[in-house]
Amino acid sequence: MAWHFDPTTGSPFWLRKRDELGFDPNEIDTVADLTGFPDVSDELRSVPVQDLVPRGMAGTVFRVYESGGTTGSPKRIVDARYRRAMLAWARDRLLDLGVPANGNWLHIAPTGPHVAGTDVATHAAMGGGFFHTVDFDPRWVKRLVAAGKRDVVGQYVQHLVDQAETVMATQDIDVLNATPALLEAICARPRLVETVNAKVTAILWAGMSASAETLRVLDEYFFPEVAIAGVYGNSLMGVAPQRPRLADDAHRCVFEPFPETTRIDLVDEDGKIVDYGERGRVRLHLISPEMFLPNVMERDSAVRVAPTTAGGVDGLADVQPYQAPGDAEIIEGVY
Amino acid sequence: MAPQAINPILGGRETVSSDRVLLTSVRGQPLADVGLVPRLLAQVAVDGLRRGGDGSPPDPAIFETAAQLFAHETVAGETYDAYAHNVMLSTGLTASSVSQATADIVTQLSELRAVTMAELPSAGFTSGFGTRWVPRGEVFTCLLASNHPAPNASWVQALFHGYRVLVRPGGRDPFTPHRLLGALLAAGLPPDSAAFVPCGHAVGEYLVDVADRALVYGGEQAVARWRGQESVAVRGPGRAKALLDVDPTDEVLDHLAFTASFDGGARCTNLSAVFTSRPVAEVADGLAERLTKIPALPATDPEAVLLTLDRTRADLLGGQLSRMRGDGLHDHSGQLDDRDTVVEVGDGSCVVRPSILSTDRADDSRLGTELPFPFVIVAPWHHDDGVVPLRDSLVLNLITDRRDLVDRAVREPSIRKVAGGLAVPWATAPGIPHDGNFTQFLLEPKGIIGDIAG
Repeated sequence: MAWHFDPTTGSPFWLRKRDELGFDPNEIDTVADLTGFPDVSDELRSVPVQDLVPRGMAGTVFRVYESGGTTGSPKRIVDARYRRAMLAWARDRLLDLGVPANGNWLHIAPTGPHVAGTDVATHAAMGGGFFHTVDFDPRWVKRLVAAGKRDVVGQYVQHLVDQAETVMATQDIDVLNATPALLEAICARPRLVETVNAKVTAILWAGMSASAETLRVLDEYFFPEVAIAGVYGNSLMGVAPQRPRLADDAHRCVFEPFPETTRIDLVDEDGKIVDYGERGRVRLHLISPEMFLPNVMERDSAVRVAPTTAGGVDGLADVQPYQAPGDAEIIEGVY
Repeated sequence: MAPQAINPILGGRETVSSDRVLLTSVRGQPLADVGLVPRLLAQVAVDGLRRGGDGSPPDPAIFETAAQLFAHETVAGETYDAYAHNVMLSTGLTASSVSQATADIVTQLSELRAVTMAELPSAGFTSGFGTRWVPRGEVFTCLLASNHPAPNASWVQALFHGYRVLVRPGGRDPFTPHRLLGALLAAGLPPDSAAFVPCGHAVGEYLVDVADRALVYGGEQAVARWRGQESVAVRGPGRAKALLDVDPTDEVLDHLAFTASFDGGARCTNLSAVFTSRPVAEVADGLAERLTKIPALPATDPEAVLLTLDRTRADLLGGQLSRMRGDGLHDHSGQLDDRDTVVEVGDGSCVVRPSILSTDRADDSRLGTELPFPFVIVAPWHHDDGVVPLRDSLVLNLITDRRDLVDRAVREPSIRKVAGGLAVPWATAPGIPHDGNFTQFLLEPKGIIGDIAG
């Protein structure tokens, strides 16, 4: 907190905010107090990104990433080294789930301004593998869906899968990363399913929700020998990989965020944390040396799952787009 | 009592889905815990059907046996009475309507062969030439609505001809197709012939997209996207109409009131508009007098006629009705009956009272509005109007002495069936088209030449 609000180290964005807060941020010392901060995430749609860089890190090369743009104009974040540290943690989690330590990756998911591309490239690089990609513009898909152009969406999905099929046919791919909708499109091609089963050790899915039955069918019917793991995440919060399944889990897939910097609460309409087993809206606090994002209300809801160890973080299950009564309809495309 | 679990059926077996939705009854109570099929499981179902069988039709005896099992026996642990009770509480149809629907399904399954014979021409070629009618594809999808169980016989017709069939139940009646497929399997239908696929709209659209032929039931919004697509038969709102061009005697008014209220008004063939060359108010008052006498009773009551609905749906319909009343339509039932339009009938369910409105224009855009209770708009008709106001009708009941009008109505493409005089619009016999020739929608002729032609 001292870092982000010290005139010599804090970012211009937060230093400007300091006077508007009505309290002294240095007196904040519990996570619960973070809810006293305003949710500034909407301002990330317009603030010049250099204002987000802490002065204490002047001279460091930062990169800029954008959110999906599902709820309007995209939000921007800056990152220098933080995500790499988080991904090193996530890598261990993924290895526990059966993702191979080394090998080549095929990423059939957004790249460009979307942080997913760089994140997954980092995973491939950490294992010394090649990172194959297919260009995927999720915002175009959302526009098509909003315009009711289902047929064009279908053609675009086939175009993506065609390219993936070419890579799969000629290259040694060990890990496949795709959205659930693209996995569905892959499953519609029996020969491609065969190739994936023959070559791939693990499939990661991310980017949109997948129902419990969808996960069961992927696992039991289409890819019985392949490790399948979900990763929940977005530009703002980072990544929350699935944790290993426990015998008494009520949910097939439970996500856990990076405890060092990220706190996720699932809250009701009044901002109160819901009980275990209940659905709540995702509220995020992120505190790293590079970014300070307290009290962000996300566009997702999830079921709160008790920690697996005493003092551990809560799990999130059955993530779905959050819809408040009277909200504009959130469009979940193939992304 | 715990709600009954209804699961998808793939490859002849129940598949317990992890995705579940609770179906509540018209009384607002939990009725069934339904397993849903996501897109990928639908794909598994489609793959299974495409792999299964060689396209030869099942043994015809299976269908008659299945009809008997469906109507009388315990199927997959469910007695007939439990089934009928569930359908009554989910669709809101009266006990007598459900019995009638079961009898209709039994009849239709017993007449499959007769319907086929009646709907296919015999060409009478000379020796060495012949035609054979064969399915136009392998996979048939049926998206059902929940207004009535009887349309379930249509997907069985596709099975009869050798299609492999995907059945998506309507949101409120998973019971009928689940039981009917169970009965067919118990009667010996090969397991890979059909799948029961409860699912959301997007998956339903996928099922139509992957099918070679499909049949889609539903409201205009549900069916609009398939209109004009040659491989999809659409069964939208019936917009059934009558032309009353004789004096409104008791006999005629009784007939019209009956066609508006049979099965509680839930059928697509129930009357929704009456055009008349006689005084509009007199006709409308005559209908209102008859229909407002129908008592509001729970579906279980043997005297019940009206469809029961859950509170939310009833209030929506009530709201729709009051908007129409407030917008220039004259309310004839309201004059006779100042009770609330939406009535709770004691068991938590509601009925919407019959409603007779009138307009002074034959081209009023509200004409043809179809609501799931006895609801009729009466409009003036002049001889000069001809068939124009009578267009877009699943059934047109012509009560007129003018033969030329009958001929013009039969020739009008958007009038799908014509009933004369006091014939009820849903009366049928094997081979009488409901909305075109369904057998020829399913089958196409192939030329056979040489000594194999037989």
